Amino acid sequence: MHVPDGILPIWLLAILYVVSGLMLYISVKRINKRFDDRLVPYMGVLAAVIFAAQLVNFPVPPSSGHLVGSTLLAVMLGPWGGMLIIGMVLFVQALYGDGGLLTYGLNFFNMGVFSCIIGWALALVLFKGLKRITDEKKSVLVSTSIASFITTVLAAFVLGLELLTVPGFGFTALSAITIVHVFIGIGEAVLTFVILLYFVKAKPQVISFLKESEVSEMASVPISVLAPPLMEE
Amino acid sequence: MDRNEAIKYVLPLILVIAIISAVILLGLASQNPDGFEWSLFDFAGVGEPEGGFEGIWAFLGEGVAVDLLTGIIGIVAILILGYAFFWMTSRKSE
Repeated sequence: MHVPDGILPIWLLAILYVVSGLMLYISVKRINKRFDDRLVPYMGVLAAVIFAAQLVNFPVPPSSGHLVGSTLLAVMLGPWGGMLIIGMVLFVQALYGDGGLLTYGLNFFNMGVFSCIIGWALALVLFKGLKRITDEKKSVLVSTSIASFITTVLAAFVLGLELLTVPGFGFTALSAITIVHVFIGIGEAVLTFVILLYFVKAKPQVISFLKESEVSEMASVPISVLAPPLMEE
Repeated sequence: MDRNEAIKYVLPLILVIAIISAVILLGLASQNPDGFEWSLFDFAGVGEPEGGFEGIWAFLGEGVAVDLLTGIIGIVAILILGYAFFWMTSRKSE
């Protein structure tokens, strides 16, 4: 899903650079001094794990896919912390030639801004529902995996919409990119489940949805003011 | 931070580096184009752009050893970047 330079029109890249820059600024403001320094090593490791997991593609013939990790990060650290880690990962990847420098804003919008916010919101709704029928830890694992699958497909659809600005890319291709990501999304869900399972067992304090969370302050979203029933315990 | 706590965050990193190294060395990673590339270049038939920025390691060429080396450098770089950034924005404990 890393778009290189030279494909999409510059006006679209410019708009998404501005949107992404604004969201990065808001993210820094939202997390600043809202988590304890004892959790910093886990956040560094999370960033490295996501970067590493994106290095290798799993086969989805005739295509392939890799973990993005946006929903996983958003559930763990909140959408702001998730966006910041995705921003760092995409920056290093852009330096590596994976995804362009001019398309950084677009790639960050798709995999960071859109995926973290949608993934977080979907997972939260599912988590609230599942928590009524099973325990918190199982709920977070299942809800995050399902949300990561849906988010992957939706993000691909958004990328497809952006690609409609490219001559030769039509609605049939939009369907193709969305359908292939249905299968890539299954891989995303499985990897999300496995990585989250480790943190549920080893360090539930870095999972914002759980009672023992120590990151809920940095994960808070202004939607709690607008939709209190969604956020209340 | 005690030893058990340190193991909890070092362990996944070592595990991931080991798995990624094995996958790269054994050639297990898929060489197919990713979902985006396949849809755009293969399915829709849009021409692939050429002559763009190929990355800071392009001068090293291609190969398993290069992929492994640059991959590990990237993992360490992002670890340091993430640690430094979150350290700066964290609330310092007494």
